[in-house]
Amino acid sequence: MTDIQTLAEKARAEVAAAADEEALKAIERAYTGKDGVVAGLLAAIPTLDPSERRAAGIAANGLKQTVLEAIGSRREELAAGALAARRSGEGFDPTLPAPRPSRGSLHPLTRVTRELEDLFASMGYEVLDGPEVELGHYNFEALNIPADHPARDSQDTFFIDPEAHLVLRTHTSPVQVRAMERLEPPFRAIAPGKVFRQESTDASHDHTFYQMEGLVIGEDISVAHLIGAMKTLLRGIFGRELEVRLRPGYFPFVEPGFELDARCPFCEEGCSVCKRTTWIELLPCGLVHPAVLRAGGLDPERWSGFAFGLGLSRLVMLRYGIDDVRHLMGGDLRFLEQF
Amino acid sequence: MYISTRWLSRHVDLDGLDAHELAQQLTLSTCEIEGVEPFAPHLSAVRVGHVVSREPHPDADKLSVCRVDIGEDEPLQIVCGAPNVAAGQRVAVATVGTVLPGDFKIKKSKIRGVESRGMICSERELELGDDHSGIWVLPEDAAIGEGVREALGLEDWVLEVDNKSLTHRPDLWGHRGVAREVAAITGRKLLDLDLSGPPTGSEPPPPVRIESAACSRYLGLVIEGARSERAPLWMRMLLLAVGQRPIDLLVDLSNFVMLDLGQPNHLFDQSALSPEGIVVRRAHPGESMTTLDGEERSLEPSDLVICSGDQPVALAGIMGAEGSKVGAGTERLLLEVATFDPAVVRRTSARLGLRTDSSARFEKHLDPTLPLQAAGHFARLLRELEPGVSFPAQLADVGEWSDPATTLELRPERVRRALGGELSDDEQASLLERLGFGVRREGECLRVEVPSARATKDVTIEQDLIEEIGRLYRYGNLPEAPLVGTIRPPAPDPTRRMVRQIQDRLAGDARFHEVKSYSFQARDLHRRLGLDELEYVTVINPVAEGLERVRRDVLPSLLAVAELGRRHRDDVRLFEVGKGYRPECAGESGEPGEVHQVALLWAGPPPGQDAPYDQARFWRLRGVVEDLLRFLERDGVGFVPLDPPPPWAHPVKCLEIRLGEQPVGLVAELDPGAAPRLGLEGELESDVACAVLDLGALLAVPARTAAYRPIPRFPGVKVDVAILAPGDLPAGELAAAIEAAGKGVVADLDLFDLYRGESLGAGKKSLAWHVLLQSEKKTLTDKDAQKFLGRVERAVEKLGAELRRA
Ligand SMILES: [Zn+2]
Repeated sequence: MTDIQTLAEKARAEVAAAADEEALKAIERAYTGKDGVVAGLLAAIPTLDPSERRAAGIAANGLKQTVLEAIGSRREELAAGALAARRSGEGFDPTLPAPRPSRGSLHPLTRVTRELEDLFASMGYEVLDGPEVELGHYNFEALNIPADHPARDSQDTFFIDPEAHLVLRTHTSPVQVRAMERLEPPFRAIAPGKVFRQESTDASHDHTFYQMEGLVIGEDISVAHLIGAMKTLLRGIFGRELEVRLRPGYFPFVEPGFELDARCPFCEEGCSVCKRTTWIELLPCGLVHPAVLRAGGLDPERWSGFAFGLGLSRLVMLRYGIDDVRHLMGGDLRFLEQF
Repeated sequence: MYISTRWLSRHVDLDGLDAHELAQQLTLSTCEIEGVEPFAPHLSAVRVGHVVSREPHPDADKLSVCRVDIGEDEPLQIVCGAPNVAAGQRVAVATVGTVLPGDFKIKKSKIRGVESRGMICSERELELGDDHSGIWVLPEDAAIGEGVREALGLEDWVLEVDNKSLTHRPDLWGHRGVAREVAAITGRKLLDLDLSGPPTGSEPPPPVRIESAACSRYLGLVIEGARSERAPLWMRMLLLAVGQRPIDLLVDLSNFVMLDLGQPNHLFDQSALSPEGIVVRRAHPGESMTTLDGEERSLEPSDLVICSGDQPVALAGIMGAEGSKVGAGTERLLLEVATFDPAVVRRTSARLGLRTDSSARFEKHLDPTLPLQAAGHFARLLRELEPGVSFPAQLADVGEWSDPATTLELRPERVRRALGGELSDDEQASLLERLGFGVRREGECLRVEVPSARATKDVTIEQDLIEEIGRLYRYGNLPEAPLVGTIRPPAPDPTRRMVRQIQDRLAGDARFHEVKSYSFQARDLHRRLGLDELEYVTVINPVAEGLERVRRDVLPSLLAVAELGRRHRDDVRLFEVGKGYRPECAGESGEPGEVHQVALLWAGPPPGQDAPYDQARFWRLRGVVEDLLRFLERDGVGFVPLDPPPPWAHPVKCLEIRLGEQPVGLVAELDPGAAPRLGLEGELESDVACAVLDLGALLAVPARTAAYRPIPRFPGVKVDVAILAPGDLPAGELAAAIEAAGKGVVADLDLFDLYRGESLGAGKKSLAWHVLLQSEKKTLTDKDAQKFLGRVERAVEKLGAELRRA
């Protein structure tokens, strides 16, 4: 009897000392395996006095039970310890760098243009395209800017030929008349794209930049609608309500024509972006001039509309705080990678 | 253009109206004011002094030692070098510590041993003119000790107007017009001004003949007895405030009248004119003249010239001829005040690059009734300043012109509909009246009389009147309204959709960076790439020599920045979606053909001799293109050698990309000969691959419809196939043989090794594929694989190759 008890004590001590699953398995084998201690005890039973056989059998099985139970609880103990160890996060250093996945990028102009396209598409605007090499007719005459009009000066046009039959478009406005020719009124459309001005370049001027034209044609379209639409646009761009003001602006293809200023989104008392005025000149706009409606084949007595032009390059610069417009067209990876 | 508030107050009472407030009002109702600056603020720090005494300097003949009272306890001792300084004068004194223009700080000094505590200033030192022959002598009543600016009443603010916002407003190119606007905006009264014609005499008018319709009106006024002296201080200061340099009375007065009424004018020496008089005509072919600025100008028959007899004495409306300058001693003058065709003036001034204050105004359709008012204004001002002048002759007033004043019909309902505001008929009428329009009610309509000053070009249709009402009412007072109407979902736009897919795939999975490039490509770039001989759309006025070409293709724009990229990064992956223009494919109206392309460029260090073949960027880029086309759901992708390859491409490693039979682009390695010409040599030596896809061609191929294949029901078996083959046997033929040997169960064929080495024997190569065999009918086993290998062995033997058994 004492033998059995000693054996049980010994087994418990061994189990308690086991540090891992492998050690537990070894103990299990040593006691309950084919050639194990318990098997040895059972094998010895026939040699015992018949009166002791029964008790010896019970004792041997009791020992087996004891060992298995001890192993079971030790196993649970070990699992809990291992989990706790993994949870302790020992050696974790939150300041270590994470590996950088390499990736490509979309041009910031693409990002901003897409946002605006999606915003306008959700309000029923078609997204249109127009050629960069444009007929003088669409760039000028159809927009109420005949030859010798002083407004041509401010266009700084790249001419393909001296008669201005073909030019590099100086604005996205040629798409206005192209849209009127193509679409059935009433309609709403925007046209983002590249435009060109023959002027010397510096950090805030480039001879190539991006604009987005907007045009809404319908019956009884008013300045009040224009203001409403522009506020929606600004909410979309800046994500919040901005105070706006309309002031007279002269563009031959609108009448009346405006400059729309918005409260500087970057300051309250003047900053370098708004040149200390707290207003930023955001978009020229106006009601479509009847001559332009006629050029697009629409009757100005029936149809009216508003148009606006948004400087996409400038907006991208404002959005990302870019200090030199020429980065946009420079193809420098050190710039592109940031987006 | 500059506007002086002191000048404005000659026409409208500005009392109590701050210059910044005025600028704000004008900006919101009329034109953009870009800046508000005080006039000559430095004159406040310069003080009026009284020269108490003047003694010669003991050690210098040309210097004098003055004692100058500036209203302090003790007069200042100042050494002065001006010959005209005299006791009793009022002078401008810059005391020690004062900073004059040009950052010139006055210091206490000793001049030849005599202490000097300040400076008596000349006009030039104060930036008030060129005169530095002596000191500036101030009026005798100037208050001693006060700042010169205040003492002389020179406080003034200068508003800078954005000229672009005046393009359509000829009436605002003079102070009187701006004052009329200010009066209308603020409700103040416009002060009266005598605008009647000039006084005249009994002599016959000076002879004037107009031979071109480009001059619709020409006034000639003979002036006698004007001595050309200095203009009075007030006039000189007003001119200075708006950036005009005072010259002498006659020139200053001519400028003053232009800047006051907006009507340019010109003075001739009447006695030097031919007896035939003034002739206004177009220039003769081959004619030339030298303008006042000393430039010889060759004229064209489209130019309009003012002649004395047949001799040009002025480019009409732009500039006088050299030598035509009037000056001291001109006894008899002829004042020209005329109206010229805006387009003619504009064209000539643009062609000659000669923009003047005069031409800027004539370009804007000046009111033909204005010359008579301007001539009268000129004459009256001159007589006021020089009572001795006379106007001995009748006024010459020739030309065919008509008063542009007109009457327009305005529908008040239309105004409300256009502005979206509830402006009553009466409100509309009163706003127009404030602007000087006459308004009469006629049934549902208003009959609006447009004054001549507004009618030449600006206000000609109903919408123009709507603008007048809106801007005076203030657009900011209009309500905001939502757009209403049925919203139709925009029509699907396959091009835009495909562009987005391409951008996303390339910038995402393929890790390319999107570039936007100029549409201009340098001639030099084309030379380097062998593209110089192609036909290009070119601009006639490029930003720089050599930058006149509009691109035909997008790719060269990327090649142009490859070196920049490689200088800063090892791995350069760029793409651009853009347009190119082809003059040889011109459309009906002569517009060049437009192509819409995606260009890709992948550059990096050369992979090295032993690198697997598919580490070359050509192959990797081809993989990107295949993936992209799969993503775009285009089937039947094939690559065939492009013959001839473009000049920048590797002569052999250049493949045309096809979808079925349709060519849609190309993929190529950059020709090793071209790379150094792009700066890709030495440390920047690069392995460069390029690809182009034509969006139009891609869109012409329909997307595949069914993409799904059932998931295999039976497990397959994987087997590797290694083959030793002659070096020139194309891998594609071997792959086809392997596939055929599979009898329809080859589900995937993946070349994982390609090796050429001496150990294989001369002219041999070894290829190895992972092959997946999979049947739709049963589970395949190793036994099937072995049978397959046996068939492969026999098949490749026929091609002169051998299967290598492990
Ligand atoms: Zn700001």
